[in-house]
Amino acid sequence: MLTLLAKFLKALNSESGAWALAFAFVLGMMMGFTPLWRLHNLAILLIALLFRINLTGFILSFVICSGIAYLLDPWFHQFGFYLLSSESWQPLWQSMYQSAFWRVLQFHHSITLGSFIISLAFAPVLLITSFFIITQYRSRIQTWFNKLKLVQMLKANRFWAIYSDLRG
Amino acid sequence: MPTKKQKNTVRPSAIRWTGLSAFIIICALLMAFSWLLLDTIIKWTLERSIGTLNGAEVNISQVEHRWSPLGLKITGIQVTDPAEPEFNRLVIGDVTGEINVEQLLLGRFHFENVVSSGIRVHQQRSTPGEVYQLPDKQDVKDWTKGGLAKLNLSMPNVDDIIARIDLQTPAAIDQAKASIAEQKAVLEEARNSLPSAEDLKAYEAELKKITEAEIKTPQQFQEKREEFNALKEKFEADRARVKEIKARASTALDTLKADFETVKNAPQQDLERAQQLMQLNSEGLSEITAVLFGEQMRQWSQYMLLAYEQLAPMLARSADETLVKPQRGEGIWFEFSDANEPPSFLIKKAKTEFAWGETVLDVNWANITHQHEQLGQPTTFMARADNSSLWQALNLNGELALTAAGIDAKQQWQVKGIQLDNLKLSEQAEFIATLAAALLDSEGEVSLRDNLFDGGATVRLANMQVEAKAQNRWTEVIASALRQLNRLDINADIQGSLNAPELSFSSDLDRQLGSALQAAAVDAGKTELAGLKSKLQEQSGGFLGENQDVLENLSSLLGDANQRDAKLQEMLKAKFENQLEDKLKDRLKGVLGG
Repeated sequence: MLTLLAKFLKALNSESGAWALAFAFVLGMMMGFTPLWRLHNLAILLIALLFRINLTGFILSFVICSGIAYLLDPWFHQFGFYLLSSESWQPLWQSMYQSAFWRVLQFHHSITLGSFIISLAFAPVLLITSFFIITQYRSRIQTWFNKLKLVQMLKANRFWAIYSDLRG
Repeated sequence: MPTKKQKNTVRPSAIRWTGLSAFIIICALLMAFSWLLLDTIIKWTLERSIGTLNGAEVNISQVEHRWSPLGLKITGIQVTDPAEPEFNRLVIGDVTGEINVEQLLLGRFHFENVVSSGIRVHQQRSTPGEVYQLPDKQDVKDWTKGGLAKLNLSMPNVDDIIARIDLQTPAAIDQAKASIAEQKAVLEEARNSLPSAEDLKAYEAELKKITEAEIKTPQQFQEKREEFNALKEKFEADRARVKEIKARASTALDTLKADFETVKNAPQQDLERAQQLMQLNSEGLSEITAVLFGEQMRQWSQYMLLAYEQLAPMLARSADETLVKPQRGEGIWFEFSDANEPPSFLIKKAKTEFAWGETVLDVNWANITHQHEQLGQPTTFMARADNSSLWQALNLNGELALTAAGIDAKQQWQVKGIQLDNLKLSEQAEFIATLAAALLDSEGEVSLRDNLFDGGATVRLANMQVEAKAQNRWTEVIASALRQLNRLDINADIQGSLNAPELSFSSDLDRQLGSALQAAAVDAGKTELAGLKSKLQEQSGGFLGENQDVLENLSSLLGDANQRDAKLQEMLKAKFENQLEDKLKDRLKGVLGG
C-alpha cells in the first residue's frame, strides 16, 4: 500500500524545477486563502494536477495558507464587503449576478471575493519571491539543511526509503 | 576538431495525464462524499445560516431529503433566544417542504408547500445556546419581572414627604414679606408727597381771598385772573400727584392683598399635596396592572406578535447585509437581484401549527420572502379556530412586507372565551395572588410602519376569581381589592421599535387600588399630618396677624388720597372766573350809572 502511494506521489511529484515549485506555492496559496468549497478551487486543483507542478509544494502551501487565512478572514471579509457594497461597482455586480456562471463561482460572497482578489494580487509577488528563494536554497542552503539531525531522522523513515528507491 | 557530443534530451509534455486521473478520482470522491453526507451538510448549513440571521445558536435534530419530488423534512428545530440563551425563542417540531426544481436550477429557493408543526415559543433549553450577536433591544420592562417589590411597599414618612413636596407656605410668607418691604417704601414716599390738610386749607384761604377781593378796575380783574390761573395750575399739579399716589397705593394694596390671600391659602394647599403623596409610590401605583398581569400579558403578546418578533427580524436581517454580523470566517452573501425577477427565497404557502398544551392552532401563511417588492405581494397570515378546548373563537390575520423604508405590516385579532385557571399573578413572600378562574376576551390591532409599532388591545377578564394572601397592611389593601374583583378591563398599548417593543398596561384597577392605598396611608399618617397642619397654620396666621397693620395703613392712605382728591376736584370746579367777571360788571354798571 505504501509502495503504491509512494509510486503515485513520485509520479505527481516528479517536477522539481524552481518554476514548478514556485507555481505550486502560488496555487496552494490561492486555494488556501479562499474558502475551500468553491468552484474555482476545483479549477486550481485541476491546474495543479494536470500541469507539471510540484504537488508537495502545492499541498504544503495550501496547508500553511489555510492556517494564515483564518487570521486574515476578517480583512478578506472587509475588503469583499467594501467592493460588493460600493455604489460605483453595483452595475458590474448586478450584471454578473444575472449570469449563472458567476453565481456558481459565488463572487457575491464577501470573503470569497475579498480573498480571491487579494490572493490574485499577491500571486506574482509570491511567484517571484518563491523562485528566488528556491534557487538560493538549492545553491547555498540545501547541503547544510540535509545535515540537520531532524532531517536525517525523517529520512530514516520506511516511507522515505520506499520513496527514495522509487526516485532512484 | 573535437567532435561535439550531442545529447538528445526529450522535453516532457506540459500535461501530466496521471494528474487528470487523480482529479477525476478526487471529484468522484467529493460527489460521493456529498451524496452520502447531504443531509448532514444541509443540516449544518441551515444551522449556520439561520443561526447567523438569528444571532444565536440554532440546533436541528435531523434533516432528511427526498429526490422525487425534491423536498426536505427537518425535525427538532431549536432557535436560541439571543437575549436569554437559556431559552429557545422558538421550537419547531418538524418542517416539511417541497422545493421547486426549476427555480433551484436558476439559483433560487422556492418552496411550494411548507408544513410545520409543534411550534412553541419561549421554551427552556437543556443547555444555554451560544450567542453570536447580542440583540440591542432592551427586553421588556423590568417591572414585569420585579413584581411587587418594585412598588416599594413601605410606610410613607411625613418628614420625607414634607421634604419632597417643597412646602408652599414658607415660600408664600417670604414672598409676602418681600412685597411688604417693597410696598412700605412706596407707602412712605406716597404719604410724604400727598398734599397735607394744611396745604388744602391754605388753598381754600387763597381761593377765598381771590374770589372775595374787591374788583374796581379791569386791571385789578386782570391781576386776579392771573392769580387765579396760577392757583388753578397748582391744584391741577397736586391733583395729578394725588391721582398717581392713588394708583400706586391701589396697586400696592392689591398686591399685598393677593400675597396675603396666598399666605392664607398655602397651608391648606400644602396639606392637600401632602395627602396626595401619602401613598405607597405614586409612579408604582399606575403600574399595578402591569405588575400583576404584565408578565402573563407579555407571554400572550409573544404569540400575538409572533410574526413580527420572530419572523420579521430574520427577514429584515436577511434583506440587509449590514444588519448581519457574520460569524468568524463566514462572510456575507450579497444579493443583486433585478426588481423584475422572482425573489431568491420564497415559500409560496405554509401551514404552521402552534401548540398550546394539547391545543393546536393552524396559521396559514402565503408568500414568505424577504423580497416583497420583487414579488409585488406581502406575506400574509391568517388563523381562524372556533370551539377549541382553550377558546370559543379566535380570528387572527395580518400581512407583512419588507420595503425600502423598513418593515410595513398590520395585524388584527379577536379572541373570545379563553378560560383561564390557576394563573399565578404574584408568588412573592409578602404577596401571593392567583387568578383562580376567569374568562378572557381580547381584541386589538397593531401596525408596524418604518419599523415602529403602533397599536393597542383590550383584554376583558370576566367572572374573575382571585385568591390573594398578604403579609402586611399595604399588600392587604391590594389583596382585598383583588379578591373583590369580578371583572377587569385591561388596555394594552404597543409602541416602540421592532427590536424593542414597549408594552404598557392600564386598567381601572390602578385607580381603585391607588385610592384605597392612598386612603390607608393618609389614615396611618393622620397624626403627623395634623401636626403639619397646625404648624403651617401657625406660620401663616402669625405672619398675617403681624402684618395686618400694613394693609390698614395702605387702606388709610388710599382713603386720605381719595378725600384730598375730592377736595381738590371740588375747588377746581368752582366758577371763580365767572364770579370775578360778575363783580367787575356790577362795578362798571355802578360807575356808568346803568
